[in-house]
Amino acid sequence: MKLTKELEHSFVEQLEKHQNIVHKVCRLYTNNQDAHNDLFQEITIQLWKAYPKFRGDSKFSTWMYRVGLNTAITLYRKGKRSINTQHMDDVLYKVKSVEYDDTEEQQLKLLYKAVHQLNDIEKALVFLYLEDKNYREISYTMGISEVNARVKMNRVKTKLRTILNP
Amino acid sequence: MDELELLKKDWQKDTVTYPKLSANEIYPMLLKKSSSIVKSLFYISIGELLFWIILNSFPFLFDSYREAFDNMLMSKAFFYGVTIFTYVIIFLFIYLLYKAYKSISVADSTKGLMESILKTRKIIKYYVIYNLVFGGALIIFSFIIEIVKNPKVSEQIAQFETDGKLAIFWATTIGMLILGILIFGGFIWLFYRLIYGILLKRLNQNYKELKKLEV
Repeated sequence: MKLTKELEHSFVEQLEKHQNIVHKVCRLYTNNQDAHNDLFQEITIQLWKAYPKFRGDSKFSTWMYRVGLNTAITLYRKGKRSINTQHMDDVLYKVKSVEYDDTEEQQLKLLYKAVHQLNDIEKALVFLYLEDKNYREISYTMGISEVNARVKMNRVKTKLRTILNP
Repeated sequence: MDELELLKKDWQKDTVTYPKLSANEIYPMLLKKSSSIVKSLFYISIGELLFWIILNSFPFLFDSYREAFDNMLMSKAFFYGVTIFTYVIIFLFIYLLYKAYKSISVADSTKGLMESILKTRKIIKYYVIYNLVFGGALIIFSFIIEIVKNPKVSEQIAQFETDGKLAIFWATTIGMLILGILIFGGFIWLFYRLIYGILLKRLNQNYKELKKLEV
Protein backbone atom coordinates (compact mmCIF):
# COMPACT_ATOMS: atom_id res chain seq x y z
CA MET A 1 0.00 0.00 0.00
CA LYS A 2 2.78 2.33 0.98
CA LEU A 3 4.53 1.61 -2.28
CA THR A 4 1.46 2.59 -4.27
CA LYS A 5 1.18 5.82 -2.33
CA GLU A 6 4.81 6.63 -3.00
CA LEU A 7 4.42 5.84 -6.67
CA GLU A 8 1.32 7.99 -6.85
CA HIS A 9 3.07 10.81 -5.10
CA SER A 10 6.12 10.82 -7.34
CA PHE A 11 3.91 10.55 -10.42
CA VAL A 12 1.64 13.44 -9.50
CA GLU A 13 4.64 15.54 -8.58
CA GLN A 14 6.25 14.98 -11.98
CA LEU A 15 3.04 15.44 -13.91
CA GLU A 16 2.35 18.68 -12.08
CA LYS A 17 5.78 19.91 -13.07
CA HIS A 18 5.55 18.85 -16.72
CA GLN A 19 1.82 19.31 -17.29
CA ASN A 20 2.39 21.88 -20.01
CA ILE A 21 3.44 19.10 -22.37
CA VAL A 22 0.01 17.53 -21.99
CA HIS A 23 -1.71 20.89 -22.36
CA LYS A 24 0.19 21.51 -25.56
CA VAL A 25 -0.82 18.16 -27.03
CA CYS A 26 -4.42 18.97 -26.15
CA ARG A 27 -4.07 22.38 -27.71
CA LEU A 28 -3.17 20.89 -31.08
CA TYR A 29 -5.62 18.02 -31.05
CA THR A 30 -8.74 19.71 -29.74
CA ASN A 31 -10.75 22.75 -30.64
CA ASN A 32 -12.52 23.72 -27.48
CA GLN A 33 -12.04 23.76 -23.76
CA ASP A 34 -14.29 20.79 -23.00
CA ALA A 35 -12.48 18.57 -25.45
CA HIS A 36 -9.18 19.87 -24.14
CA ASN A 37 -10.08 18.82 -20.59
CA ASP A 38 -11.38 15.48 -21.78
CA LEU A 39 -8.19 14.63 -23.64
CA PHE A 40 -6.10 15.90 -20.74
CA GLN A 41 -7.97 13.50 -18.47
CA GLU A 42 -7.41 10.54 -20.81
CA ILE A 43 -3.70 11.28 -21.23
CA THR A 44 -3.36 11.51 -17.46
CA ILE A 45 -4.94 8.08 -17.04
CA GLN A 46 -2.73 6.57 -19.72
CA LEU A 47 0.39 8.13 -18.17
CA TRP A 48 -0.58 6.83 -14.76
CA LYS A 49 -1.33 3.34 -16.09
CA ALA A 50 2.02 3.20 -17.87
CA TYR A 51 3.96 4.79 -15.03
CA PRO A 52 4.89 1.58 -13.14
CA LYS A 53 6.72 0.48 -16.27
CA PHE A 54 8.54 3.77 -16.67
CA ARG A 55 12.08 2.91 -15.74
CA GLY A 56 13.72 6.22 -16.23
CA ASP A 57 15.93 5.14 -19.13
CA SER A 58 14.51 8.14 -20.90
CA LYS A 59 13.60 11.47 -19.40
CA PHE A 60 10.15 11.75 -17.86
CA SER A 61 9.33 14.47 -20.37
CA THR A 62 10.46 12.38 -23.37
CA TRP A 63 8.31 9.55 -22.11
CA MET A 64 5.41 11.98 -21.74
CA TYR A 65 5.69 13.06 -25.36
CA ARG A 66 5.24 9.47 -26.47
CA VAL A 67 2.35 8.64 -24.19
CA GLY A 68 0.65 11.98 -24.80
CA LEU A 69 0.85 11.78 -28.58
CA ASN A 70 -0.04 8.10 -28.63
CA THR A 71 -3.13 8.79 -26.61
CA ALA A 72 -4.19 11.70 -28.78
CA ILE A 73 -3.52 9.91 -32.06
CA THR A 74 -4.38 6.30 -31.35
CA LEU A 75 -6.04 5.49 -28.08
CA TYR A 76 -8.34 8.39 -27.48
CA ARG A 77 -11.92 7.89 -28.52
CA LYS A 78 -13.53 11.17 -29.10
CA GLY A 79 -16.21 11.34 -26.47
CA LYS A 80 -19.72 12.62 -26.55
CA ARG A 81 -18.47 16.11 -26.92
CA SER A 82 -17.83 16.45 -30.59
CA ILE A 83 -14.32 17.62 -31.21
CA ASN A 84 -14.80 17.80 -34.93
CA THR A 85 -17.20 20.68 -34.90
CA GLN A 86 -15.03 23.64 -35.49
CA HIS A 87 -16.16 26.90 -34.06
CA MET A 88 -14.07 29.77 -35.17
CA ASP A 89 -14.03 31.28 -31.73
CA ASP A 90 -13.02 27.99 -30.22
CA VAL A 91 -10.15 27.57 -32.59
CA LEU A 92 -8.99 31.04 -31.86
CA TYR A 93 -9.53 31.06 -28.12
CA LYS A 94 -6.08 29.70 -27.80
CA VAL A 95 -4.41 32.62 -29.46
CA LYS A 96 -4.80 35.69 -27.37
CA SER A 97 -1.41 37.30 -27.53
CA VAL A 98 -1.51 41.00 -28.06
CA GLU A 99 2.13 41.89 -28.15
CA TYR A 100 2.42 41.46 -31.90
CA ASP A 101 1.50 43.94 -34.48
CA ASP A 102 -1.73 43.29 -36.29
CA THR A 103 -0.35 41.57 -39.33
CA GLU A 104 1.80 39.13 -37.43
CA GLU A 105 -1.01 38.33 -35.04
CA GLN A 106 -3.32 37.82 -37.96
CA GLN A 107 -0.79 35.56 -39.62
CA LEU A 108 -0.39 33.51 -36.46
CA LYS A 109 -4.12 33.06 -36.15
CA LEU A 110 -4.25 31.77 -39.69
CA LEU A 111 -1.28 29.51 -39.01
CA TYR A 112 -2.86 27.93 -35.95
CA LYS A 113 -6.04 27.48 -37.91
CA ALA A 114 -4.11 25.81 -40.72
CA VAL A 115 -2.34 23.47 -38.29
CA HIS A 116 -5.73 22.41 -36.96
CA GLN A 117 -6.66 21.30 -40.46
CA LEU A 118 -3.77 18.84 -40.68
CA ASN A 119 -4.33 15.16 -40.04
CA ASP A 120 -3.34 13.45 -36.80
CA ILE A 121 0.10 12.34 -37.96
CA GLU A 122 0.97 15.69 -39.48
CA LYS A 123 -0.05 17.41 -36.28
CA ALA A 124 2.28 15.14 -34.32
CA LEU A 125 5.18 16.12 -36.58
CA VAL A 126 4.37 19.80 -36.24
CA PHE A 127 4.04 19.43 -32.49
CA LEU A 128 7.45 17.81 -32.10
CA TYR A 129 8.94 20.40 -34.41
CA LEU A 130 7.45 23.26 -32.41
CA GLU A 131 8.81 21.62 -29.28
CA ASP A 132 12.24 21.87 -30.89
CA LYS A 133 12.78 18.15 -31.19
CA ASN A 134 15.35 17.02 -33.72
CA TYR A 135 14.67 14.41 -36.38
CA ARG A 136 16.26 11.68 -34.30
CA GLU A 137 13.78 12.33 -31.49
CA ILE A 138 10.89 12.64 -33.92
CA SER A 139 11.88 9.32 -35.48
CA TYR A 140 12.11 7.73 -32.01
CA THR A 141 8.72 9.02 -30.89
CA MET A 142 6.85 8.17 -34.06
CA GLY A 143 8.61 4.92 -34.91
CA ILE A 144 9.53 5.98 -38.44
CA SER A 145 12.95 6.46 -40.01
CA GLU A 146 14.70 9.81 -39.80
CA VAL A 147 14.64 10.14 -43.57
CA ASN A 148 10.93 9.49 -43.60
CA ALA A 149 10.39 12.02 -40.83
CA ARG A 150 12.30 14.62 -42.83
CA VAL A 151 10.36 13.96 -46.03
CA LYS A 152 7.05 14.03 -44.17
CA MET A 153 7.98 17.29 -42.45
CA ASN A 154 8.72 18.91 -45.80
CA ARG A 155 5.35 17.76 -47.09
CA VAL A 156 3.65 19.20 -44.05
CA LYS A 157 5.32 22.54 -44.72
CA THR A 158 4.14 22.46 -48.31
CA LYS A 159 0.64 21.51 -47.18
CA LEU A 160 0.53 24.37 -44.70
CA ARG A 161 1.60 26.76 -47.41
CA THR A 162 -1.16 25.47 -49.66
CA ILE A 163 -3.74 25.90 -46.93
CA LEU A 164 -2.54 29.44 -46.24
CA ASN A 165 -2.32 30.50 -49.89
CA PRO A 166 -4.95 28.55 -51.75
CA MET B 1 10.19 33.82 -43.23
CA ASP B 2 9.27 30.18 -42.96
CA GLU B 3 5.70 29.88 -41.68
CA LEU B 4 6.58 27.19 -39.22
CA GLU B 5 9.47 29.21 -37.86
CA LEU B 6 7.08 32.01 -37.06
CA LEU B 7 4.77 29.56 -35.36
CA LYS B 8 7.63 28.03 -33.43
CA LYS B 9 8.76 31.41 -32.18
CA ASP B 10 5.29 32.08 -30.86
CA TRP B 11 4.87 28.55 -29.48
CA GLN B 12 8.12 28.74 -27.58
CA LYS B 13 7.31 32.12 -26.12
CA ASP B 14 4.51 30.48 -24.16
CA THR B 15 2.22 33.40 -24.74
CA VAL B 16 -0.70 31.16 -23.95
CA THR B 17 -1.31 30.48 -20.31
CA TYR B 18 -2.56 27.01 -19.67
CA PRO B 19 -4.68 26.19 -16.67
CA LYS B 20 -2.22 25.16 -14.00
CA LEU B 21 -3.51 22.06 -12.28
CA SER B 22 -2.45 21.49 -8.71
CA ALA B 23 -1.49 18.09 -7.31
CA ASN B 24 -4.82 18.05 -5.49
CA GLU B 25 -6.61 18.43 -8.79
CA ILE B 26 -4.52 15.70 -10.44
CA TYR B 27 -5.06 13.00 -7.80
CA PRO B 28 -8.79 12.46 -8.51
CA MET B 29 -8.00 12.27 -12.24
CA LEU B 30 -6.04 9.08 -11.66
CA LEU B 31 -9.17 7.31 -10.48
CA LYS B 32 -11.28 8.13 -13.52
CA LYS B 33 -12.04 5.44 -16.05
CA SER B 34 -10.24 5.34 -19.35
CA SER B 35 -12.20 5.33 -22.58
CA SER B 36 -9.41 4.18 -24.86
CA ILE B 37 -9.95 1.99 -27.92
CA VAL B 38 -7.76 -0.71 -26.38
CA LYS B 39 -10.27 -1.02 -23.59
CA SER B 40 -13.20 -1.22 -26.00
CA LEU B 41 -11.30 -3.73 -28.09
CA PHE B 42 -10.67 -5.81 -24.98
CA TYR B 43 -14.36 -5.90 -24.01
CA ILE B 44 -15.38 -6.76 -27.55
CA SER B 45 -12.93 -9.66 -27.76
CA ILE B 46 -14.14 -11.03 -24.41
CA GLY B 47 -17.69 -10.74 -25.73
CA GLU B 48 -16.71 -12.59 -28.88
CA LEU B 49 -15.03 -15.43 -27.04
CA LEU B 50 -18.10 -15.79 -24.84
CA PHE B 51 -20.44 -15.62 -27.81
CA TRP B 52 -18.74 -18.49 -29.63
CA ILE B 53 -18.23 -20.55 -26.49
CA ILE B 54 -21.93 -20.23 -25.64
CA LEU B 55 -22.93 -20.94 -29.22
CA ASN B 56 -20.77 -24.07 -29.15
CA SER B 57 -21.97 -25.27 -25.75
CA PHE B 58 -25.59 -24.16 -25.93
CA PRO B 59 -27.02 -27.39 -27.41
CA PHE B 60 -25.60 -29.52 -24.61
CA LEU B 61 -27.58 -27.68 -21.97
CA PHE B 62 -30.80 -29.26 -23.18
CA ASP B 63 -31.73 -32.92 -22.72
CA SER B 64 -33.44 -33.18 -26.07
CA TYR B 65 -30.33 -31.97 -27.83
CA ARG B 66 -28.14 -34.35 -25.89
CA GLU B 67 -30.43 -37.21 -26.90
CA ALA B 68 -30.30 -36.12 -30.48
CA PHE B 69 -26.53 -36.18 -30.27
CA ASP B 70 -26.63 -39.60 -28.68
CA ASN B 71 -28.75 -40.90 -31.55
CA MET B 72 -26.63 -39.14 -34.04
CA LEU B 73 -25.16 -41.08 -36.83
CA MET B 74 -21.71 -39.66 -36.30
CA SER B 75 -19.53 -41.79 -34.12
CA LYS B 76 -19.14 -40.71 -30.50
CA ALA B 77 -15.36 -40.71 -30.75
CA PHE B 78 -15.54 -38.30 -33.65
CA PHE B 79 -17.94 -36.09 -31.77
CA TYR B 80 -15.74 -35.93 -28.66
CA GLY B 81 -12.71 -35.36 -30.82
CA VAL B 82 -14.37 -32.33 -32.38
CA THR B 83 -15.42 -30.97 -28.98
CA ILE B 84 -11.94 -31.32 -27.49
CA PHE B 85 -10.43 -29.76 -30.59
CA THR B 86 -12.82 -26.80 -30.28
CA TYR B 87 -11.84 -26.14 -26.69
CA VAL B 88 -8.12 -26.47 -27.38
CA ILE B 89 -8.53 -23.83 -30.08
CA ILE B 90 -10.51 -21.57 -27.74
CA PHE B 91 -7.79 -21.74 -25.09
CA LEU B 92 -5.14 -21.15 -27.70
CA PHE B 93 -6.91 -18.01 -28.80
CA ILE B 94 -7.39 -16.82 -25.23
CA TYR B 95 -3.66 -17.25 -24.69
CA LEU B 96 -2.76 -15.44 -27.91
CA LEU B 97 -5.14 -12.60 -27.12
CA TYR B 98 -3.76 -12.26 -23.63
CA LYS B 99 -0.23 -12.08 -24.99
CA ALA B 100 -1.23 -9.55 -27.63
CA TYR B 101 -2.93 -7.30 -25.08
CA LYS B 102 0.07 -7.50 -22.81
CA SER B 103 2.31 -6.30 -25.62
CA ILE B 104 0.26 -3.15 -26.21
CA SER B 105 2.20 -0.35 -24.59
CA VAL B 106 1.23 3.28 -24.69
CA ALA B 107 4.90 4.18 -24.16
CA ASP B 108 5.82 2.45 -27.42
CA SER B 109 6.49 4.51 -30.54
CA THR B 110 3.36 5.66 -32.37
CA LYS B 111 3.90 3.12 -35.12
CA GLY B 112 4.73 0.34 -32.66
CA LEU B 113 1.58 1.00 -30.67
CA MET B 114 -0.58 0.96 -33.77
CA GLU B 115 0.99 -2.28 -34.92
CA SER B 116 0.40 -4.03 -31.63
CA ILE B 117 -3.25 -2.94 -31.63
CA LEU B 118 -3.71 -4.10 -35.21
CA LYS B 119 -2.06 -7.40 -34.32
CA THR B 120 -4.55 -7.93 -31.53
CA ARG B 121 -7.38 -7.16 -33.90
CA LYS B 122 -5.93 -9.67 -36.36
CA ILE B 123 -6.03 -12.44 -33.77
CA ILE B 124 -9.71 -11.77 -33.18
CA LYS B 125 -10.24 -11.77 -36.92
CA TYR B 126 -8.56 -15.16 -37.28
CA TYR B 127 -10.69 -16.49 -34.46
CA VAL B 128 -13.85 -15.41 -36.24
CA ILE B 129 -12.66 -16.82 -39.56
CA TYR B 130 -11.81 -20.07 -37.83
CA ASN B 131 -15.28 -20.25 -36.32
CA LEU B 132 -16.96 -19.53 -39.64
CA VAL B 133 -14.88 -22.03 -41.59
CA PHE B 134 -15.13 -24.69 -38.92
CA GLY B 135 -18.87 -24.14 -38.50
CA GLY B 136 -19.40 -24.24 -42.25
CA ALA B 137 -17.34 -27.43 -42.62
CA LEU B 138 -19.25 -29.05 -39.79
CA ILE B 139 -22.60 -28.22 -41.39
CA ILE B 140 -21.50 -29.63 -44.74
CA PHE B 141 -20.02 -32.68 -43.09
CA SER B 142 -23.14 -33.46 -41.04
CA PHE B 143 -25.21 -32.90 -44.14
CA ILE B 144 -23.20 -35.48 -46.07
CA ILE B 145 -23.36 -37.98 -43.21
CA GLU B 146 -27.12 -37.46 -42.94
CA ILE B 147 -27.55 -38.25 -46.62
CA VAL B 148 -25.19 -41.21 -46.63
CA LYS B 149 -26.24 -42.84 -43.39
CA ASN B 150 -29.79 -41.83 -42.51
CA PRO B 151 -32.17 -44.51 -43.88
CA LYS B 152 -35.09 -42.08 -43.96
CA VAL B 153 -33.19 -39.69 -46.18
CA SER B 154 -32.05 -42.54 -48.44
CA GLU B 155 -35.67 -43.64 -48.81
CA GLN B 156 -36.73 -40.17 -49.78
CA ILE B 157 -33.94 -39.89 -52.28
CA ALA B 158 -35.00 -43.21 -53.81
CA GLN B 159 -38.55 -41.85 -54.02
CA PHE B 160 -37.37 -38.75 -55.84
CA GLU B 161 -35.35 -40.91 -58.16
CA THR B 162 -38.37 -42.97 -59.20
CA ASP B 163 -40.33 -39.76 -59.70
CA GLY B 164 -37.52 -38.52 -61.92
CA LYS B 165 -37.06 -35.41 -59.75
CA LEU B 166 -33.65 -36.27 -58.38
CA ALA B 167 -31.87 -33.39 -60.11
CA ILE B 168 -34.37 -30.89 -58.72
CA PHE B 169 -33.99 -32.37 -55.26
CA TRP B 170 -30.22 -32.01 -55.30
CA ALA B 171 -30.30 -28.56 -56.79
CA THR B 172 -32.71 -27.23 -54.18
CA THR B 173 -31.02 -28.92 -51.21
CA ILE B 174 -27.51 -27.84 -52.11
CA GLY B 175 -28.77 -24.42 -53.13
CA MET B 176 -30.50 -23.98 -49.77
CA LEU B 177 -27.39 -25.15 -47.96
CA ILE B 178 -25.12 -22.71 -49.74
CA LEU B 179 -27.62 -19.90 -49.33
CA GLY B 180 -27.88 -20.63 -45.60
CA ILE B 181 -24.11 -20.59 -45.15
CA LEU B 182 -23.77 -17.40 -47.19
CA ILE B 183 -26.49 -15.57 -45.28
CA PHE B 184 -25.08 -16.62 -41.92
CA GLY B 185 -21.49 -15.86 -42.92
CA GLY B 186 -22.46 -12.59 -44.57
CA PHE B 187 -24.37 -11.47 -41.52
CA ILE B 188 -21.43 -12.14 -39.20
CA TRP B 189 -19.01 -10.52 -41.63
CA LEU B 190 -21.18 -7.39 -41.81
CA PHE B 191 -21.42 -7.29 -38.05
CA TYR B 192 -17.65 -7.32 -37.70
CA ARG B 193 -17.12 -4.78 -40.40
CA LEU B 194 -19.45 -2.51 -38.52
CA ILE B 195 -17.87 -2.94 -35.07
CA TYR B 196 -14.27 -2.71 -36.17
CA GLY B 197 -14.94 -0.32 -38.98
CA ILE B 198 -16.23 2.22 -36.50
CA LEU B 199 -13.68 1.47 -33.82
CA LEU B 200 -10.56 1.28 -35.92
CA LYS B 201 -11.29 3.61 -38.81
CA ARG B 202 -9.17 6.42 -37.47
CA LEU B 203 -6.37 4.08 -36.43
CA ASN B 204 -6.22 2.49 -39.87
CA GLN B 205 -6.16 5.89 -41.54
CA ASN B 206 -3.36 7.10 -39.31
CA TYR B 207 -1.42 3.90 -39.72
CA LYS B 208 -1.60 4.21 -43.48
CA GLU B 209 -0.51 7.81 -43.25
CA LEU B 210 2.44 6.82 -41.08
CA LYS B 211 3.42 3.96 -43.36
CA LYS B 212 3.32 6.17 -46.43
CA LEU B 213 6.82 6.65 -47.84
CA GLU B 214 8.15 3.91 -45.61
CA VAL B 215 10.28 1.44 -47.51
